[in-house]
Formats: sequence, structure tokens, C-alpha cells
Amino acid sequence: MLETVVQAVINGLLIGGIYALVSIGVTLIFGVVKIVNFAQGEFVMIGMYITFFLFNSFGIDPLLSLFISMPVLFVLGALIQHFLIRRVLGPNDMPQIFLTFALSLLLLNLALLLFSANYRTVHTSYSDAAFHIGDLYIPEAKLIAFVVAMALSGALWVFLHTTDLGKAMRAASQKPDVAVLMGINPNWVFAVAFGAALALAGAAGSLLMPFYSAYPFVGQVFVLMAFVAVVLGTLGNVIGALIASLMMGVAESLGIQFVGADSGLIVVFAMLLLTLAFKPNGLGGGRVR
Amino acid sequence: MQSSSVKIAALVVLAMVLLTLPQVVKSSFAIDIFIRILLFSFIGVAWNLMGGYAKQLSLGHAAYFGLGAYTSTIMQIDFGISPWIGMAAGGVVAAIASLPIGWLCFRLRGPYFTIATIATAQALMLIFLKFRDFAWGAEGTTIPNLGSSPLMLQFENRASYYYVVLGLLALGLFITYKIEQSWMGYYLVAIGEDEDAAEAIGVNAPRMKRDIYMISAFLTGLAGTFYVQYIYFIDPPTAFNLNISIEAALVAIVGGIGTLWGPVIGTVLLETTSALLQSWLGSSTGGIQLTVYALILMAVILWRPTGLMGFVNEVIARRREQKPRVRTAP
Repeated sequence: MLETVVQAVINGLLIGGIYALVSIGVTLIFGVVKIVNFAQGEFVMIGMYITFFLFNSFGIDPLLSLFISMPVLFVLGALIQHFLIRRVLGPNDMPQIFLTFALSLLLLNLALLLFSANYRTVHTSYSDAAFHIGDLYIPEAKLIAFVVAMALSGALWVFLHTTDLGKAMRAASQKPDVAVLMGINPNWVFAVAFGAALALAGAAGSLLMPFYSAYPFVGQVFVLMAFVAVVLGTLGNVIGALIASLMMGVAESLGIQFVGADSGLIVVFAMLLLTLAFKPNGLGGGRVR
Repeated sequence: MQSSSVKIAALVVLAMVLLTLPQVVKSSFAIDIFIRILLFSFIGVAWNLMGGYAKQLSLGHAAYFGLGAYTSTIMQIDFGISPWIGMAAGGVVAAIASLPIGWLCFRLRGPYFTIATIATAQALMLIFLKFRDFAWGAEGTTIPNLGSSPLMLQFENRASYYYVVLGLLALGLFITYKIEQSWMGYYLVAIGEDEDAAEAIGVNAPRMKRDIYMISAFLTGLAGTFYVQYIYFIDPPTAFNLNISIEAALVAIVGGIGTLWGPVIGTVLLETTSALLQSWLGSSTGGIQLTVYALILMAVILWRPTGLMGFVNEVIARRREQKPRVRTAP
């Protein structure tokens, strides 16, 4: 019994690391640019397809394709921010919500048109490998994904807290007007924040590929999880989103283990509803930390 | 005075055209498209009450569509009650369900309200997928075909369905018109503009939002019953389909958010586009319809956020400005 629980917790933490990359992206954009990116999941999907095609056409290992998917998505993010999002920033919610929502709809259906609804998988040497500790079983690909995800999250935290640009992003998130007076160019900061968030989504896509299938709707699984984690971890809070994502992963995994294979989403919704009912401001407080 | 009599005349002409349309156009393919246009106009009108006037941007109206659909179907199959009564009951169930859902979702504002509404509709779908003893689970059920049975909301010709949904749309438009003219309409617009400011001048925003959500949910529930009666089939992915929530919002935004006729105009544009695409490309190319919808939505948001109605109003205003000049010319 205890071992089953520990195993479920380990599985949950490992996938929670991927959820964290997606939620940190969502919360970073929310904190800095002040919009919710409904299309974040579709960028995970793009990251997965990039990784798939690099592996299929050039035999590039999914872990190495991180170095391609992340910069590609960073540039894509900066361009989207500059040419689309920038035009709808302001006090009115409607255009912001529906612009990113339309973007999500567009990318998803374009993927359906271009790549069909087929599941694409990549098989690497470490896809089936696993570490055994006693009766516990730790899949290698998932462990690598978790470690890299945590490293990237840590790197983002260090970037936000030690570099001038990172500090400018936090300043722009806390007091946008004052930040402008201090000589921070908001357009530049917003483009970097959006790009960084998409780079994290791209990383999530590459890290997932050795053990997860790519298909047009794949992003929806992750974005829903990320939205809940972001509410739970307090909007705009990076550490909060990280911790909440790991919690979501564990809760989902325990649900699958003890309630049934298809109960993962129910657990997620239950957590969202409980959060809304009792802790509508999330577990912590504040903005980008 | 003159403009209002012009409006009434236009309305009478429109009503006559719509009433005679199925008598003139006999193609059942065309009538099917008309029914889709009227149905989604109606859902868009229901969404617009809340999303357009009060700017509470829900993407979870499928929840009420599905509840309406399931209520009437369960009443019909398990208890033999006419779907006409089931339809009203479904609307009431949807309206009651909007109370706890609203209580939760209204704790969040802006985009997070939107996300919470998506989640509630998805959660309801999962519940109906899970409980097979209660409502046929994931397999769904076909609705028994009784042939021509108007009292059971079943007809042999499509034209009758057309008149039913036309009646629903007229009801939705009438309610919207009445609300637009009343103090409630002004309060809702005030909430939509700036909720805090509205509360500061004495608008009871939580109560207003709750009430309009109930009305909006009620109407959406009626649409759900109509839809499953029309297609004779129900299962959770049909009844709680996210695409219904999306299209409800989409037609209102494209047509003109917060305007009486916006959702109707938006639906005519989107559904016509979709029908044309289907006849050109066939229905095999999945994704093309929503790709085009997404592009239209992006174009509207970036270049004309007031929608087609905003564009029409601008043109009318420009013409009015020019009129006196024309008259004073020699």
C-alpha cells in the first residue's frame, strides 16, 4: 500500500515538472504582460512537432532538439507579442481573451490540417529504460524531463532576480507606470517575457516527446492543468505556479491510482473548484517573485 | 419618429421573409442551414446578454446547453413527458445550475472567469460520461422517433423545426430588447464598462450578474433541448461540446458584442462561410472550418472590435452627417 502511494507520488512529481514549465509560462505572461495566453498549450504542441520532425528527418535526439525548439519558440513568442498582442493591450479584457483564444483555435486546427489527427511518437534509447529502487520504478525519460524542467525553472528564477532585464521584467510587472519612468521600455520587456514563456512551452514539448505522443489537441491537456495551477499558485507568482504544478501532478497521479484511469481530469477540476470556493486568491499572494 | 417607423417596417418585412422562406425554398439541405443559422443566432443572443452587455466572457455555455438537452431527454425517455414541457424544465434546470456555477466563477474576473466557465462545462461533461446508470454514460442514446408528433416536438418535415427555432430566436431577441430598454440593461452595460465604478454608484453588481447569468442559462437550455430533438441523438460530447461555447461567443463578437442584432448577423456570416467551405471542399478536411473561424475572429478583434454591427452603425452615422448638406445644396 505505502509503496503504491510512494510510486504514485513519484509519477505525479515527474509529470508535475512538465506542468510546471507550462504554468510558469502562463504565470510569467500574466504577471508581466497582464494577459492570459489561452494558446500556451498549442505552443507545447508546436514544440512537440518540432522535436518529432527533427528526430524523424535528421535523427536529432529530443533532448538536443531543446536547443532548437526553445529559440524558435522564443522568436515566435516575441513576434506574436510585437505584432498581435501589443495591439490589444489595455483595460478591455475582451480583445485580449479572444485574440489568444483565436490563436489557440488557429494553431490547433492548422495542425489538424497539416499533420492530421494521427498520434506521432519518437522512440529513443532511453524511452523504455527505468531505474529500480526496491520495488519503485522510475522511468528514465521522465526523470530526465523532470530534472531539466526544474533546472530551466531555476534558471528563469535566477534570471528574474539577478539580471537587469529580469529585474526590469519584475518591475514592469509590479508597477508598470513607474517602470516606464525608470527608463524601462515596456515593449521590449513584454516581448522578452512572452518569448521566454513560449520557450518554456517549447522545452516542455521537447522533454515530453520521448514518452508522450504528439497530436493536435495535446496542448489542451497541459494548458488546463496550467490554468488551474496558476490560480492555485496565485496569479503571476512563479514559485507558486511551480509548487502548485507539482501538487497537481501528484493529485492527478493519486486520482488515477486510486479512483480510476480516467479520473485525472476530475481531480483537476475538483481542485479548481475547491480553490475557487475556499482560496480564490490562491495559496500565496503577490506578483512575479 | 421617422426612423422608428422605418425600423418597424423593416422588422415586418424581415418577419414576413423569414416566415415564408421554408415555403419558397424547399431544399432540405438549405433548410438545414437556415435551422443552424437560427439556432446559433439564438445561442449567440443568449450568450450576448451576459457576455455582450455585462462583459462576463463565458466560454462555458455548453454547460447549460447540455443540461437543457439532458433534462428534456431524460424526462421524455424515462417518464414519457413531452419535450415541450422538458424544454421549459431544461431551461429552469440550467437557470438553477447557473447559481452555484456563477457563485464559484464570479469570484474570478476577466480571463480567469472565462477559464473557470470552461472548466465547469468540461466537468459537467465528465460527470455525464462517468454515470452510465443515470444518463446512458459515454454511449449516449438515440431519441425514439415517433414519426409526426407535434405534441412531442417531433415533425416529419424540416420546415416545422425551422418555425420552432425561429420562435425561440424571436423570444431571445424580444427578451434582449426588453432588457436593453430597462434599467437592468443600463446597469449591465455599466458593469461591463467598469464593475468597480458601477458598484460605487450603487449598482448591485453581484445580483445583476447573477440574474443575467440565470436568464442567459435559461435560454441556452432551451436551445439544448431543441438541438437534440432535431438530431434525435444525445451523448455527453454532443451536449457539452466546447465548440458550442465557442460558437456562442464567436457569433456575438463577430456580429457585434452587446448589440441586439449582432449575434444574428455574426451567425449569418459564419454559418454561410462554413456552408460554402463545406460545399467547396467537402466535409472530409477536418479543421478547415475552425481555421477560417479563427482567422475571422482575429481579423475582427484586430481591426474592428465592435464587430459588423459597429461597422454598420458607423456607416449609418456617416450618412446621417452628410444628409443635411445634401438638402441645403441648391
